[in-house]
Amino acid sequence: MSLRTAVRNDRKMLEQVKQKARAILEKREADGVLGLRKGPFDVIHPHVFTASAELDALVLEPKWLFAKMARSILRGRPAPYRLAVVVRGCDERAIVELTKRSQIDRDRLLTIGYACDSDQAKACLCSRPYPQKLDAGTAVDGIDPFADERVKAFLEGEAAERMEKWAAQLRRCIKCYGCRNSCPICICVPCKLEDDVWVERGVIPAEMVSFHLIRAFHLSDTCVACGACQEACPVGIPLMTLQLSMRAALKRDYDYEAGLDAERKSPVLHDFIQEPRSGQQVPDWVDSTGKKP
Amino acid sequence: MNPEFIRTICPYCGTGCGLVLKIEDGRAAASYPDRENPVNRGSLCVKGWFAHEFVHHPERLTAPLLRKGDSFVEIPWDEAIALAAQKLRDAAATYGPDSVGGLSSAKCTNEENYLFQKLIRAAFRTNNVDHCARLCHAATTVGMLQTLGSGAMTNSILDLAGADCILFIGSNAAESHPVLMGEVYKALDRGAKMYVIDPRETPVAKNARRLLQINPGTDIPLLAGMMRHIIDRGLHRADFIEKRTENFEALRTFLQAWPLDKAARETGIGEDVIREVAEAYAKAENAAIVYCMGITQHACGVANVIAICDLAMLCGHVGKPYSGIYPLRGQNNVQGACDMGALPNLYPGYQGVADPAVREKFQKAWKADLSDKPGKTVTELITAAGREIRALYIMAENPCLSDPDVNHVMKCLQRLDFLVVQDIFLTETAKFAHLVLPGACFAEKTGTYTNTERRFQLLHKAVDPPGKAKGDFEILCLMGKALGLSFDYATPADVMSEYANLVPAYAGICFDRLERAGLQWPCPDENHPGTRFLHGERFTRGLGRFVVPDYTPPMEMPDAEYPYYLNTGRVFAHYHTGTMTRRSPFLNREIEDPYVEIHPEDAAALGVGPGDRIRVSSRRGSIVTTARISERVVKGSIFAPFHFTEARANMLTNPVLDPACKTPEYKVCAVKMEKDHEAKAR
Repeated sequence: MSLRTAVRNDRKMLEQVKQKARAILEKREADGVLGLRKGPFDVIHPHVFTASAELDALVLEPKWLFAKMARSILRGRPAPYRLAVVVRGCDERAIVELTKRSQIDRDRLLTIGYACDSDQAKACLCSRPYPQKLDAGTAVDGIDPFADERVKAFLEGEAAERMEKWAAQLRRCIKCYGCRNSCPICICVPCKLEDDVWVERGVIPAEMVSFHLIRAFHLSDTCVACGACQEACPVGIPLMTLQLSMRAALKRDYDYEAGLDAERKSPVLHDFIQEPRSGQQVPDWVDSTGKKP
Repeated sequence: MNPEFIRTICPYCGTGCGLVLKIEDGRAAASYPDRENPVNRGSLCVKGWFAHEFVHHPERLTAPLLRKGDSFVEIPWDEAIALAAQKLRDAAATYGPDSVGGLSSAKCTNEENYLFQKLIRAAFRTNNVDHCARLCHAATTVGMLQTLGSGAMTNSILDLAGADCILFIGSNAAESHPVLMGEVYKALDRGAKMYVIDPRETPVAKNARRLLQINPGTDIPLLAGMMRHIIDRGLHRADFIEKRTENFEALRTFLQAWPLDKAARETGIGEDVIREVAEAYAKAENAAIVYCMGITQHACGVANVIAICDLAMLCGHVGKPYSGIYPLRGQNNVQGACDMGALPNLYPGYQGVADPAVREKFQKAWKADLSDKPGKTVTELITAAGREIRALYIMAENPCLSDPDVNHVMKCLQRLDFLVVQDIFLTETAKFAHLVLPGACFAEKTGTYTNTERRFQLLHKAVDPPGKAKGDFEILCLMGKALGLSFDYATPADVMSEYANLVPAYAGICFDRLERAGLQWPCPDENHPGTRFLHGERFTRGLGRFVVPDYTPPMEMPDAEYPYYLNTGRVFAHYHTGTMTRRSPFLNREIEDPYVEIHPEDAAALGVGPGDRIRVSSRRGSIVTTARISERVVKGSIFAPFHFTEARANMLTNPVLDPACKTPEYKVCAVKMEKDHEAKAR
């Protein structure tokens, strides 16, 4: 299953974003605004706008997450440099997660948040298609990804059946590293996927447990459900479904949702040694026997 | 400084994915998938994600180099160009026009290929120009020309997603054209059946309904057995054959000699399996055949291609969407280099050099006297080096790694009076040059590539070539002028408008129309939207022609002295002669060293374990490499990737050629193996 985001064309919202950006630059609240620019040859690319006159070329589509880029820009420019970033909901959540891990100095980062529409929420399997700080557009309700046929197809049925479905998908992997490269949270250096202890070099398909499950678990409590991994996957592996299940388990058992609160630490790091705040001792997704605990 | 983002096209395989390069301080710092490119739509393979890594490599050539004894010295450009022109001219003057030859490049743009073949043809009055398509899809061009009338892939990549049955024959697209597999998997998710025919269990095969591990080189017995069964069961499309094709009786007669049991015996595949695949293909509403080097790189490559065309026509699976024949092009611009006439018998647009009317047209357009005698092919040019061929101009090709029997190639190149090599690194071939001209890589040029689905796509220059290196377009213009031609092109767009005027199928193509999604030829006028699939109303040649595919077994079979089959090919992290991928740290980390895949039983018999050093020898040469024990190969066969200079698989391969297209039989030769006791275990 490939995930391609829907494109929204909302002029009013775009104008609101531009106004906000203009105000930030004119009042010198930030030295630059990171967003998408429609450049020469119509190529749409990330750009740091530094003058309000430039903002005519600002666009909002296609979906491009800036969290990791904002991190590297801030790291390259010491205080008092300040950056504003044009974000949709998932990108704001990624910034929260990077902030939580001391990757972004939140005091030097502003956001201009805008909403996605229902079509986009559906295309991205998004339950929260808006940022918490909304500056432009109107928030719409997200969808329940677990009610979506594309997700249900991989989570329902007996364990052996599910295993075969997943194995068949993961056998398609061409080891492009696109899931990792496009992820707004993947920042480890060195990356575990480049560690010979775990992942055999030079072999495709990449191994299910050592490559795909390491990657998935590595992001279990960080994933902000943006879908960039699945969007980038050339062979359409439903990578986000892996993450969604883990996100749901953390939500249910620990009332934890990555990307919402920069103060709250991950239960994977802090709460696993204690009783879960609610719910079951063993989440469904660790069960490989097919029997419910 | 704000980073800049420049949209361009990936320099590796023929899929033709769109890239966005991130440029920081004049350097290519990262590669992203182009979300708006219709081919890859936001995805890339690992080579694409790391395409920027070799661009600023310290070993890039930065100035023209002149051989002085055993080493090179830098010389100024004007001297280099004057010397190259004079030496090439001297050879022509002394030994005649046909003593000069040129190898053009499937890595370079359409415009550069057009200029290169024009330069050789117009300046020297010879057709001695060819390029590495000879080593890959020449069999396709020749075979499909006879049957369908066009050597190009019949359909578009996206058509694969709608196929109900897909046969992969001798194509390991999961490693060689990875991004295109996405469309195949969409078809499988819709319930399509995929069969893979390959002597090796490739990554593509892992996802197939069935893998047919045929005996090496027995594609025609298999295809003939399938066709015979389809006709016997009355599953052929009689109406299509009647209306759209000719010469069917000849094929039917030929198939009398191929009953199913004989096909099964030759191929090593059970009759029931051949029946199953034949029926799945014939009964599908839409069916596609994807093939690659496993078909073409045989001494009977043309006949293999013909057999595929026959099968497709027999079942009416050509000339409509979601079906067709997919000869996947290996290089970013191998389609374009052929289209542009970098071929010894064809001008741009597949117009024959021996056709007086065509020659007249080009003579007039180029204001030059042209030869009507077809020139020599890649392998012929090199074999004749130092004999009929005295001076050779090689642009971005590396025959010392890519051609069969490279020991022989190296000997031949050393016999030349003059060899000029234009490249981005000092390749194994450039080391034999008298003069080396530093060219530009994909990120440093503007122009077009044509991908495997006939799509012209635009490259935008993102960074400058290193040091004094120049774009190949500029070098060719300088060379042309030095040779007395009026190569006064201001930009590559001027070159495009020249060839668009000479080739009706490209008449509607211009730079301005390519910006967003490119254009698929034929595109005969400026309002034409391009062509998604060929042979719709009629075949390019009029009626499709059934041709009898004469079967020749591989030329060199294993025997007592050389008891194993050697098969060669690509791996996912590397590309061809490795000049670019082996200089990309991320890609090279994936696979750092050469290896051969050996079946566990063969390994046990030889006392070889994983990682052991092993000597592999054929009648032509010998390499020491590392053993990988793998059941991907069948017992009695080994597989070696050909990317590695320190253990060149092509030292072993057999230079025997298909007589019609002159493509070498890379896929089968006989070798022996022994554990290398001298080399230290790694």
